[in-house]
Amino acid sequence: MHFIARLALAVVIGLAAHPAAAADKPSLTIYTYDGFAGEYGPGPGLKAGFEAQCGCTVNFVGTDSSIGALRRVQLEGATTSADIVLGLDTSIAGEARATGLFAPHGLALTGLSLPVKWTDPEFVPFDYGYFAFVYDKTKVANPPKSFEELIAKPTTFKIAIEDPRSDTPGLGLLLWIRAAYGDKAPEIWKGLKPHIVTMARSWDDAYGLFLKGEADMALSYTTSPAYHAITDKTDKYASARFDEGHYAQIEVAGMLKSSKHQDLAKQFLGYLTSVPAQKIIPTTNWMYPVVDLGADLPAEFNALPKPAKLLSLDEKTITANKDKWIADALAAIQ
Amino acid sequence: MLRLEGIRFAYAPEALPYRFDMVAQPGEISAVMGASGAGKSTLLDLIAGFLLPQAGSMTLDGVDLLPLQPEDRPVSLLFQSNTLFEHLSAENNVALGLPRPTRRKDAGPLIAAALAEVGLAGIGKQRAATLSGGQKQRVALARTLLRNKPVLLLDEPFSALDDETRVAARDLVRNLTRAHDWTTILVSHHTEDVQALATCRYRIAAGVLLPEGNTAA
Amino acid sequence: MPTPWPRSNSQPKVLPPRPLRLLGGAVIAMAVALLVVLVLWSIASAAYGQPETAAPLPDVAHLLRMSAIQAALSTVLSLLVGTALAWSLNRLRFAGRNLVIALFASAIVTPGLIVAFGLLTVWGRSGWINAIANVLFHTSIDTPIFGLGGILAAHVILDAAFAARILLARLDAIPSTRLKTGQGLALTPAKRFATIDWPALRGTMPGLAAIIFLLAFTSFPIVLLLGGGPANQTLEVAIYSAVRLDFNLHGAVILALAQIGFCSIIILAASAFAPIPSTLGPSAGQRWADRGFAKAVQWTVLLACIIGFALPLLAVLAGGFSSNLPALFARPSFPSALATSLAIGTLSALLTLVLALGLGSARAATLRPLARIGLAAPAYAYLAVPAVVLALGFFLLVRTMGIEPATAGPAVVILGNALLSLPFAIATLGPPLEAVASGQGKLIRSLGLSGWQQFVRVEWPLLGREIGVVLALAFCFSLGDLGVISFFGTQDFSTLPLLLVRALGAYRTDDAAIVAAVMLVITVAAFTALPQFFARWSDAQA
Ligand SMILES: Nc1ncnc2c1ncn2[C@@H]1O[C@H](COP(=O)(O)OP(=O)(O)O)[C@@H](O)[C@H]1O
Ligand SMILES: [Mg+2]
Repeated sequence: MHFIARLALAVVIGLAAHPAAAADKPSLTIYTYDGFAGEYGPGPGLKAGFEAQCGCTVNFVGTDSSIGALRRVQLEGATTSADIVLGLDTSIAGEARATGLFAPHGLALTGLSLPVKWTDPEFVPFDYGYFAFVYDKTKVANPPKSFEELIAKPTTFKIAIEDPRSDTPGLGLLLWIRAAYGDKAPEIWKGLKPHIVTMARSWDDAYGLFLKGEADMALSYTTSPAYHAITDKTDKYASARFDEGHYAQIEVAGMLKSSKHQDLAKQFLGYLTSVPAQKIIPTTNWMYPVVDLGADLPAEFNALPKPAKLLSLDEKTITANKDKWIADALAAIQ
Repeated sequence: MLRLEGIRFAYAPEALPYRFDMVAQPGEISAVMGASGAGKSTLLDLIAGFLLPQAGSMTLDGVDLLPLQPEDRPVSLLFQSNTLFEHLSAENNVALGLPRPTRRKDAGPLIAAALAEVGLAGIGKQRAATLSGGQKQRVALARTLLRNKPVLLLDEPFSALDDETRVAARDLVRNLTRAHDWTTILVSHHTEDVQALATCRYRIAAGVLLPEGNTAA
Repeated sequence: MPTPWPRSNSQPKVLPPRPLRLLGGAVIAMAVALLVVLVLWSIASAAYGQPETAAPLPDVAHLLRMSAIQAALSTVLSLLVGTALAWSLNRLRFAGRNLVIALFASAIVTPGLIVAFGLLTVWGRSGWINAIANVLFHTSIDTPIFGLGGILAAHVILDAAFAARILLARLDAIPSTRLKTGQGLALTPAKRFATIDWPALRGTMPGLAAIIFLLAFTSFPIVLLLGGGPANQTLEVAIYSAVRLDFNLHGAVILALAQIGFCSIIILAASAFAPIPSTLGPSAGQRWADRGFAKAVQWTVLLACIIGFALPLLAVLAGGFSSNLPALFARPSFPSALATSLAIGTLSALLTLVLALGLGSARAATLRPLARIGLAAPAYAYLAVPAVVLALGFFLLVRTMGIEPATAGPAVVILGNALLSLPFAIATLGPPLEAVASGQGKLIRSLGLSGWQQFVRVEWPLLGREIGVVLALAFCFSLGDLGVISFFGTQDFSTLPLLLVRALGAYRTDDAAIVAAVMLVITVAAFTALPQFFARWSDAQA
């Protein structure tokens, strides 16, 4: 087995075994979160699709979270082997931009179909979704229609949410409440406190608890029910539509200034927003594509309710206030 | 001939100083008597090299023993207890006495022969922990047989044995000493053992080792 | 004429001189200590190049207090339950007893995440207990499974079972003569415990308490999943946040040093007492069953513990084998992750064994207190070093050495996990090695055995079972690892825990349940088979 041999070699000669660069093809290294790179995610499909046209090798490196991917590039600085960081979202794009590690993508990006007009010079969007609480229709007959209704429910009504420091949906909820309630946000958090069964480290844990029946609702995306409809063939899951409106998450990728394959990286970002690549996204990452796929978008996605109102905050405000908002929210539920 | 001359030893500056002089001949059993705590085991530890004297000389057939580490001294030891590794079989305990290297296919017959010589043929596979006190001492003797060192030190080897067994064990020690021409030193506070075995007697009193007048065995 | 007093000659030199063992042990101890220093240094130097972050340092004193309270409660509860369980298991005989014991023994290495999910399956809001309550009484029981209650419950499951296994070994080792005497005196069950059992257990308690305290103090996935949020944090979680989330390396170093300092005090305090003989073999011994009321209590304790401990694990098994098993096994990723996990576990276990034997036998070969501390302390330090700090430090080190993290990944995962298992390995192998050296050193010397012969012919036949236990421990620790691998995993280097997390992250809870069940089966199998296999093998040489 190739892997075992390499393993033994690495151990025996003291970690010094460099894998010889595969032939003389250039290779494009992409740091992303593990779920994206992994076998269930879009990674394998995108790799195959791009390799077929670029004459290069694509090498996805998964880290435990998208923030983890950014941190790793920050740690490695100019010596990083990454050409692209993929999987950041608009909530931490400001922080990423401030590191000065990212290069302008220089793409025209016409023909995008996004809830907002895209003008970002450094980051390229590749999918999006709306944060929402997902519930089981067979168990919850009257889902709350706003944060206030949620708070008014008896305290036996539980929600599983994510930690804003460790997880992008967690941060998304924080910004959602902030965008909807402004300075009254801590009061909403205080009201939510008795309903929070856990503030999990990651979306996986929170959603897992919800599926196990430990919570009545979990903070996820409006697109989550599409997964259950397509893969599990069940339509019992739905997202609760909130009157305040919903906050959007747009996932982005950016190329690094230190990359030795600027052209290749740019070419990949272009591919990422092309129709063939976007066709892979919905049923692997369970988010909306950023271009109009027409009939190629599974019908289950079109059946999902769109939010009544779109909430957003601008990048500068987020970057300036994020730490304080997190501290306020944590203090309110402590 | 094992010769101790002016051997001086004390555990601490303020402790009782010992003074040992003795001569022991091959093929003979020299008995050392003394009350409990008199210093008998100390004497054997000095001969075996676990303790170094502060003065004096110790030779075997003219060869100085004092510079030798315990591993290199030409002696075999048999204690009252703890003579075997309890978790090993009788066979493997005996095997530890084989000269190294011994080829595996030669080892079996040698071990079997040694066990047979001490009258324990057939118990080789048995775990030491399951043997009786007398059997353990005999297994240890079988091991000394294979080591075949010229000096055998016995520290109260029969104390834990019942009367019948100890008579048999005594005979074994006597016969082996004669047959292999060992210089055997027997430490005991048991007069019967001494009377039955010793060709020459010593006693430790007030830290000094003195001869007691010889008798025939 | 006054003679000079040669001090060293006046005490019997019963310990066989083993310069090679001492040298080997010293080299290992220094390498292991150097690694801790290098790891912290490389993080500190990376922090130095980092601009001061805005993220404020968490309140260290508060975190220490919170962690300590939680750990102290976990320790006391675990020891109480563990003692009661060991006492019951020692007295009772029933079909499947050995399997139950193996299940308890494997608790210590069962990945925390798996236990937490198993716990929820049984005790959760929609768990088995509530399902039964709903049928019987038409009401749900509000179990405090999240928050401090949940953390304590999960820790007690893991640590009380571990404690029970070790205490049971002590009880089973009580010489049969003592039992016969007690039986002859017709001691009441209470008197029997006080006069025969407790003295046998007492010596183990301080060391055992220290290990459990440290495990609870540095607990990570359980606190994250069941803690219910930021109110219940441990220092370890705060360190994780500092490293992974806030990117506050200054803070991480300070917190890590606080944790290492605090844990070192605990370790030193515990090592002032007798060492912990953590043998986990199957038990056998003199039968003296209690009767009447005591027996009823024992059965109650045992059943309660099986429901409490074994049921969550059974829930994990049940969850795995009720869903689409063949489909997952058919995926190419599964066999490859399985093979990788087994290979990493095996190599890491072997490395742990070599390091532990090296350190343990060197330690047994000297009586000098300083040398003995110097040989053991570096290994015990890894009880205190947070996995995330170790992983980050290795990551930075490897990069400083100019090696691609992807290339170094397997080796680092093996080494990192070996180091994290080392304290347990030393605690297991140390006592018997010491017993041989000090108890039978004179015999070994007079037979003129070399160090190698001493090992092959005397120690190996004695240590077989312990060696199996150490291998099982280290194997299972690396099998469940997520801390180290999260820095080094790549697309084509994946292990079972990574597969589990990936499945969870992709809505595939069924697949995750299968992977969890497979990991649990491997864990229990390793713990049942390895000690037995090595005991047999070494016994053949005894
Ligand atoms: N290692 C030691 N350090 C100090 N004193 C010792 C040591 N070993 C033995 N002694 C003392 O030396 C004396 C003689 O001991 P020993 O030779 O064992 O007596 P015995 O004649 O009973 O074999 C005893 O008083 C004993 O307490
Ligand atoms: Mg004595």
